[in-house]
Amino acid sequence: MSKTVIDAHNISKVYNPKTIPVYAVNNVHLHLNEGEFTALVGPSGSGKTTLLNLIGGLDKPDKGNIFINGTDITRLSAGELIDFRLHNIGFVFQSFNLIPVLTAGENTEFIMLLQGINKKDREKRLAQLFTEIGLEDKMDVRPAQLSGGQQQRVAVARALASKPHFILADEPTANLDSVSASNLLDLMARLNKEENITFLFSTHDQRVIERARRVITLVDGAIASDTAAVSTTDPHKELAI
Amino acid sequence: MIFIMAWRNIWRNKSRSIVIMLSIVIGLIAGISVLALYKGMMTSRVRTVIDAETAHLQIHDRDFKKDYHPSFILKNANSLFQSLSSLPEIKVAAPRSVVQAMLITATGSAGVQVNGVVPEYEYKVSGLKEKIKEGEGFHDNKKNEIIIGRKLAEKMKLKTGSKLVITFTDSADNIISSAFRIIAIYQSDNDPLDELNVYVPMQALNELLMTGNDFHEIAILLNSDEDLQKVQQILMKQFPAFSVESWKDISPETDFMVKTVDEYSYIIMIIILIALAFGILNTMLMSVLERTREIGMMVALGTSRSRIFLLVLLETVFLTIAGTPIGLTVAYLITDYYHTHGLNLSGMGEDMMASFGFNTLIYPSFPWEKLAGIMIMVIGTAIISCLLPAAKALRLQPVEALRR
Repeated sequence: MSKTVIDAHNISKVYNPKTIPVYAVNNVHLHLNEGEFTALVGPSGSGKTTLLNLIGGLDKPDKGNIFINGTDITRLSAGELIDFRLHNIGFVFQSFNLIPVLTAGENTEFIMLLQGINKKDREKRLAQLFTEIGLEDKMDVRPAQLSGGQQQRVAVARALASKPHFILADEPTANLDSVSASNLLDLMARLNKEENITFLFSTHDQRVIERARRVITLVDGAIASDTAAVSTTDPHKELAI
Repeated sequence: MIFIMAWRNIWRNKSRSIVIMLSIVIGLIAGISVLALYKGMMTSRVRTVIDAETAHLQIHDRDFKKDYHPSFILKNANSLFQSLSSLPEIKVAAPRSVVQAMLITATGSAGVQVNGVVPEYEYKVSGLKEKIKEGEGFHDNKKNEIIIGRKLAEKMKLKTGSKLVITFTDSADNIISSAFRIIAIYQSDNDPLDELNVYVPMQALNELLMTGNDFHEIAILLNSDEDLQKVQQILMKQFPAFSVESWKDISPETDFMVKTVDEYSYIIMIIILIALAFGILNTMLMSVLERTREIGMMVALGTSRSRIFLLVLLETVFLTIAGTPIGLTVAYLITDYYHTHGLNLSGMGEDMMASFGFNTLIYPSFPWEKLAGIMIMVIGTAIISCLLPAAKALRLQPVEALRR
């Protein structure tokens, strides 16, 4: 039986509760097991990013509980949440968000430094991660000198560096051209298959949705549908462009 | 890595950082130059006090300074004077008979202090010979010779060769008057003292005072300023019946001035640094606000608030101290040049400077002893300047920051 990674109970997030309440997330129940490759889809304003922020511990729900690997993160203080995120959750952002003054390697190593990993283990892990993302020769290059696709691969390496329980990716392909998007999806799918890394990503991109094994559709902050797969496409199959 | 990030971050906006670094360089040069000038002025003033006015130490009868009565002579003065030569720290000592008197000429009168001196010793202790601007020094076996200061000569319209009458009470309270001929006019860096002090041969004065071979004062010049306290203690133990005073006791206003100016120089430095702090604060605030999203992302990834604070603190410290070596080096070169060649402040008013006892040619000296204090103040400025930007950074909520 697969291990539960994310278990969200009846969570809601309301903006303007005292004036005109807007339910960004409305009574959502979500259960994700280890090794899932899940897409969160829905129109703009449906609450995808808010739900990811709640699950990632970047924001707190107004109602409900979120258990990550058995820990109720809604009960953690701001400081505890920072530490929890560092050791348990990997993030990939739409606009890459690499630190511009650090090289690709340093961006990835930074997370391991925060975790207090020793130099020898950091170097070993760094070499392994950059081999996985296929950018061994770009470790000493600053983000500005990398293409969007390469930057997002480095962002994935950074998310993986902390050996998290799962990776949250907010529209990871939104700023990428089709080739880069395809390469990134291949990388994520391979990591999911070979290393059993759990991915939960929000997307509008139909090609990304087609690669997901499970698709959760949000409408007006509520789950409209949750299916194990919307297509017969094997997520681990190369995306045809 | 936080150190690397902080260092690289300050170079993200080169022109902005260079402007603030230059302002720190200029601030340091200005501040240190003022400290160096003050130090030079104070050193000059203290040297004048020691070398030309009071010497390092003076020995008197305990009651002498109460009303300067000529009867308060140093008992066994000559044997006391001879015994001083056994102390290796003492460079030279000079005996003096001292009396408060009225100087009278055909044009007016003035209160003066008559110093009966032994030229051989006095020239070495107070440098009286070097201060003579007109005429010569004392002649052997000539009794009624007097050397007066230029300020007094100008006030009383006296020249070398002029005669004047000195009136005072002797040790038996008799009023004595005696005529003296001006053989020389001296000028020191201290106009008020030049106006007050006149010098006559000790033998002539002692005969008038009826004090025989005894005298009232021994002025002592040491080989090193550092020995002042030590020798004072030794002499106080050796001669408990007498008062042994250092130049700081005799000229407390000079000691007070040195201490006050020391404090003022720190205040000036603090004012300069406060002005700089606003520039640094502004730069850091802009830097943090420009990186709202980046800092929010760092917090989202698991960077603790303390590390964010450390990052902002280090950036501020680097920004502040990056220009410090240049500022210190330029300040050192400037002060070293003027330390060698002297800085002529006669433009500020020679008379005004002399009235406060200052030489117009000042030799500024790099304030090495204040360097640690300056560095602490510079780093303190950085820490204070970083507090507001750091508070802004710490208040950032990752969700809000990432939305921007």
